[in-house]
Amino acid sequence: MKIELIYTEGCEKCAAARHELRAAAATAVHDLVWREINVLDEVDYAVQLGVIALPSIAIDGQLVFASLPSGLQLQQEMARREKDILRDRCVSPK
Amino acid sequence: MLTIGKLAAIAHVSPDALRYYEREKLIAPTAKSDGGYRLYDEGAVRRIRFIKQAQNCGFTLSEIGELLTLRSRSSACCGDVRKRAIEKKLQLESKIRAMKAMSKALDGLVAECTEESHPIDDCPILSALDRANGIR
Repeated sequence: MKIELIYTEGCEKCAAARHELRAAAATAVHDLVWREINVLDEVDYAVQLGVIALPSIAIDGQLVFASLPSGLQLQQEMARREKDILRDRCVSPK
Repeated sequence: MLTIGKLAAIAHVSPDALRYYEREKLIAPTAKSDGGYRLYDEGAVRRIRFIKQAQNCGFTLSEIGELLTLRSRSSACCGDVRKRAIEKKLQLESKIRAMKAMSKALDGLVAECTEESHPIDDCPILSALDRANGIR
């Protein structure tokens, strides 16, 4: 599962929260891909995702949080998506 | 002290705009004259120039109010303002993207019409718009 955290530099509070979120996400799934994106480096991609507030979090290319969630909220969302993925695999096995 | 008329002339806005800014709580008269007229200090000129400049950058009056609040808050820092500026840029880029898509859709419609002398019932652009609505 790919988590992308789109942020802007200069926010110390966000930097600490990013660290905590990454740790929380790492415990939620085995296949975590964690990407932190400085929005000014990838403006086009951020616009494509629909980001209009910072920081934001996208999961597997879909904008999910328009502000930083708690570690628990992120884990719950990841778990819900993981469950959906597993269910889809069972319905249409490759 | 400046009357509303003088302030409007110096700041190149209309008195009505100043009253509107006041209703939106962006400016406030410093005092009132004996006759009840609004009076402003020199700081109002700077504040109005700030408002106009921010409007030119795409900020709404409500967002400008937040910027003015940030400016007067000692706990705020430049990063707070920068974040808002970047978010505004993202909003503008998003609108530009949507408008480019609209422009491209219009290109397609214009390309459908190669003969301008068609009667209106045979207009390819109107037909294409009907098709988009599922009407054949």
